[in-house]
Amino acid sequence: MTHKKAHPASFRDPSGFMFAEEGVVKRQINPIYFKQYNALKDSGFFNTLFKSQVLIPHEELSNSSEQIVIQPDQIPFITYPYEWCFNQYKEAALLTLKLQKFSLENGFSLKDASAFNVTFHKGKAIFIDTLSFDFYLENSPWRAYKQFVSHFLGPLLMAHYHGAQSLKLMSNYIDGIPLKMIATMLPFKSKLNPFLYSNIHLLARFEDKYNEDYIGETQAKSLSKKAQLNIIQSLYDFIKKLTLKEYSEWGNYYNKTNYSDKAFNLKSDIINSWISNLNAKTLIDIGGNDGTFVRRISTKLDQALVCDIDNNAVDFNYKTIKENKERFILPFVIDVLNPSAAIGFNNKERDSFIERIVNFQPDVTLALAVIHHMSLSGNVSFDMSAQFFSKFSKNLIIEFPNREDSWVQRLLNNKADFKDYFGFYHIDNFEKAYLDYFEIIEKQPIENSERVMYFLKKKHD
Amino acid sequence: MTFLYFDPAMGAMIVQAIVAAIAGVLLFSKNLLLKVKVFLGIIKPKNEEGLFDDIEIENSEIEKKDSSDS
Repeated sequence: MTHKKAHPASFRDPSGFMFAEEGVVKRQINPIYFKQYNALKDSGFFNTLFKSQVLIPHEELSNSSEQIVIQPDQIPFITYPYEWCFNQYKEAALLTLKLQKFSLENGFSLKDASAFNVTFHKGKAIFIDTLSFDFYLENSPWRAYKQFVSHFLGPLLMAHYHGAQSLKLMSNYIDGIPLKMIATMLPFKSKLNPFLYSNIHLLARFEDKYNEDYIGETQAKSLSKKAQLNIIQSLYDFIKKLTLKEYSEWGNYYNKTNYSDKAFNLKSDIINSWISNLNAKTLIDIGGNDGTFVRRISTKLDQALVCDIDNNAVDFNYKTIKENKERFILPFVIDVLNPSAAIGFNNKERDSFIERIVNFQPDVTLALAVIHHMSLSGNVSFDMSAQFFSKFSKNLIIEFPNREDSWVQRLLNNKADFKDYFGFYHIDNFEKAYLDYFEIIEKQPIENSERVMYFLKKKHD
Repeated sequence: MTFLYFDPAMGAMIVQAIVAAIAGVLLFSKNLLLKVKVFLGIIKPKNEEGLFDDIEIENSEIEKKDSSDS
């Protein structure tokens, strides 16, 4: 029997582990979990969840007395909780609660409620930790309750009170935001709300109190199933109503920019013709805002990753996806100047954004109206941005705003005394730097604007 | 119990009884308030789903074969 190398993130649960074989992700189940697995399978529990599209479907590949190997549907691009917009995060939380309720009603219970058990696929949140289900022990409290609060309720509350960027805390607090931290960061009036008081403040106090219990003497109290269901329902109702109170400068981006309608359509037409010539199936739109340009592409794409730094834009994109029931667009939040790092043990549990996108190898990368921000706000040289894009872009469609463009002028003026440093920002320097990594297939200025579209192809060395 | 690979926190287990009690009261009163409002005609029973559906799995997620795949 060949020894499989488990994925670096898959080592904590003795029930089984994930591994990859020839690029295909599979899961091995150990005998310790056979009873649960068979019960989940035979009772039709798995099937119902597959049909409802809430759990990633899998196929059983082999079944022996030593191991069962299953192959889940492959997910081409995983997004992590700290890359989700507020409403995606909400959906993930509600999905977990739905699953716990359904599990309880069928004699099971989730052993963990980690935000990393969920990802986004085909336009919705989906649970990917197939082995997370255990038998429900009559009258036992939910062992994953605290984890749910620190992974889901806490971050969502922080986002509500302090802004969506709080969700990024999850990349540092890989095991959920500490309860005490959440409790101290909520406003005083939250203590007057019974729901918040019990689920956050009281919980934090109790956790603190029983932390000293090294001997482990205190017995876990019993909790009836109905009582547990009440907790689940009240968590669900509360989270469902949670909103952000945010304004962003990108909100009405397309009204504020300097496009005449004609220029807007021209840009779209240019992109469209280049992409259809490529016969591209997969794409990433860096700084893609609310997905406007991706939706105007007439070619049928298999997957379009649309990322942006602004939570509101990604949220808007997400809402549109839900309304239109689109399955090929995957929105997420990324700051191109500081994309998600690799974290976890050995910095290998969660892949960096760059590792994931290099692996994904999109047919085409769109970088529309983003280069001037990288260069002028981020002080990133053309050579550096060219190198960045070349890591994962076989084909790159990039829009270069000239110095005379109004956004560029605005950014330059913000620099005041430092403005002269940005003398380098000129189309000739741009072309020179990018030619080190790419060939220029086509170059098209957009009429009635100060912007030029480039169609670049990565050089092979 | 061998599956527990993280610390469930004793405190969290114990406090659940209190949380559940409060949740129970909240749900009961919310329900009651809703019924009173409907009875008095202040609000009509809403059918709008909004962005998020209800907590039930079997009812809410029946696969629609016609879902657009654009």
